[in-house]
Parts: sequence; structure tokens; C-alpha cells
Amino acid sequence: MTDTLHPQVASLLARYRADLGDTTPSDTLDARIAALVAGEREEIRPARPGPRRLRPWAAAAAMAAVAIATGIYIGMRLERAAPRANLARQADALPTDFSLWPTDSVALQIPAEYSPQGTLVAVDPSARSTGKRYWVDVVVSNDGTVRIDRVVPAEPANKNNAGAPDGITLQAP
Amino acid sequence: MKKNCEDSERMARLAAGDAHALHELYEKHGRALLRFSSAMCRSRQAAEDLVHDTFVALLRGPLLFDPAQGSVFAYLCGVLRHRVSRHFRQQRRWVELDGHDAQADHRADPADEIARSETSAVFRRALLELPLPHREVIALCDLEELPYHTVATILACPIGTVRSRLHRARALLTLRLASLELVDLVEEPPLMQLS
Repeated sequence: MTDTLHPQVASLLARYRADLGDTTPSDTLDARIAALVAGEREEIRPARPGPRRLRPWAAAAAMAAVAIATGIYIGMRLERAAPRANLARQADALPTDFSLWPTDSVALQIPAEYSPQGTLVAVDPSARSTGKRYWVDVVVSNDGTVRIDRVVPAEPANKNNAGAPDGITLQAP
Repeated sequence: MKKNCEDSERMARLAAGDAHALHELYEKHGRALLRFSSAMCRSRQAAEDLVHDTFVALLRGPLLFDPAQGSVFAYLCGVLRHRVSRHFRQQRRWVELDGHDAQADHRADPADEIARSETSAVFRRALLELPLPHREVIALCDLEELPYHTVATILACPIGTVRSRLHRARALLTLRLASLELVDLVEEPPLMQLS
């Protein structure tokens, strides 16, 4: 890449290099360096890295960092304070009959009987009842939660009116 | 290697408080530094001032030199290079009041003290018109004839960057010299590839 020096340029460079080669420090520069050495010989101590001056860009960067940190701190404070205020405001505005349960849900009635182990298990509604039968009201919400709403003894009239063939009755909550 | 050891020893002495070591370093490297500075600066006086500043900086902070990073000469060239760069930044703050006077000063340029012939003087002016990064790579590689790895140490960049910058600097210089009719581009096929 660097072998593209034009021959005439190379010649000019060589001539200029020779001119530069004849350059020698002036007496003034020699004297200044000598004075520097003489002046420092008395004062010079084993050098050690002294405290550096604070540079302007470093000061600006430090101020910017402080400003950003302050902004973040204030933002965090506001962020923490806001939800509490919102919740308090919302709580005041809630109606008295407000329920936390979602409105979009399905209630199922499942027939169940006590097993010999003493637990309540779902049974086939068409099967003959061997013991006391109960209706278990299960509510399935659209947010995925399932809860047992209530368990009531099944009465003979209700048993015949079970609704769905599988014994599951859908109800609006 | 022996020279480097001697220089390192002088730096150690300087760090220990022996100011005479500074004079020895000046005796050894002052002339080369002045050549580099003169190639970079228009004014001979400014070139000498910058060399002086370089040695002042060396005297104030000899512990800043790290032998693992390169030779003492490379370190001094690096310091001088920063001084030159700062010098030109400060120069930019000043505005010439009269363009005519500036032209007159240009003709009576103290730089011509360095160039002994009119051709060299024109060449020097063309070199001084190059951007600083290109000028310094020409000064170090072509005028001081330093090896690429030393130049890379001085410029604090990879060798590949030195090569590519030198290539670009030479091309710019050649075009500038051609515009001054010091170089005839038509007769030389290699430079046709540059355009």
C-alpha cells in the first residue's frame, strides 16, 4: 500500500530531508535547556505523580452524573408515591357492593357423594345413589381461577332436574 | 537495545532527581525532535518552543514514561506530537486581520530558513498544507525514516493505520505537488491508480 511514492516526490522528499538534516538547535534553545537544567537542579526532587488538575471535561462529566443521579432519585420517589396515591383514590371511588371476583365466569353444579374414605367425590348422575348426594357449585372464571362456591345436599326434586345429561348444570353466577 | 537501556537509565536518573540526565537526553534526541517539530510547524521559533516544552514536560513528569510502551525517543516524539497538536488548536483561535499581510508573511516565511532551495521551500509549503495527521506520518516515516512499529507507538495506533495513513498522505502530497507543477503525474503510470 505504501509503495506508491512517485519518483519525483521521492526526490523532493530526499532533498527536503537533507535540508532538514542540517537543522540544528539554535543557541537560544540550547541556552533555554541549559537554564532549565540549571534551574531545576536545585529545585528538583525525586518526582512523584502529584495531584492532577481537575480537567474541565471531567468536571462537566461529574456534574452531569450528579444531575442524572438526582433525576433518577426524584423519579424513583415519584414512582413510589404515585401507586399509593392512585390506590387510595381508587379505593375512595369504589362502590360499596364491589366484588373482587370477576364477572365473566361460569358456575358448574357437580353431583358428589361421600366415599368410604370420607372424602367427597364426583359421581355419575345417572348411577344409582348409594348414599347421600350433594351438589357442589364450582365457579370457573375467565382469569383461570376455580373456586368452590358452595356444597348443598341434593334433594330428590333437584336430582331429576339435573339439566345437562352429564349432570353438570351451567349457571350464570 | 543498548541505546534504549542507556535512555532508560537516564530516565531513571531523571526520576531520581538528576537534572543532568535531561541535558543528556536533549543532546541525544534534541536535534531529531527539532527536525520533526520543524517539519510540522511553519515557524522555526514555534518548532523550538515546542521542543523546549517537550523537555519541560519530561522534567515535570519523568515517571509518566513507561519503558514497556516503547523507547524514550518514541515517548518524546509522542509528547512533542501532542504539543504540536495543541499548538495548532491554539493557533486556530487567532484570526488574521489582513489577508494581504498574511500573504506577505507567507512569502517571508521563516520556514524558508529550513528549505535551502526554492524547490524545497515550495515542497515544504505543500507539506505544511497537509492535514496534521497526514503531515506527521510523512514527517515520521519519510523524513525521519522511522520504522512503522515505532511510528505506530508514537501515534498510538496500529501499524495498519500507519500504512494506510501514509498511503493517503503521500497521495495527497503528490496531488498537491502536481497542482504546484513540481510533479508531472501524466508520465508516471503508478499514480494513475490513485485517481
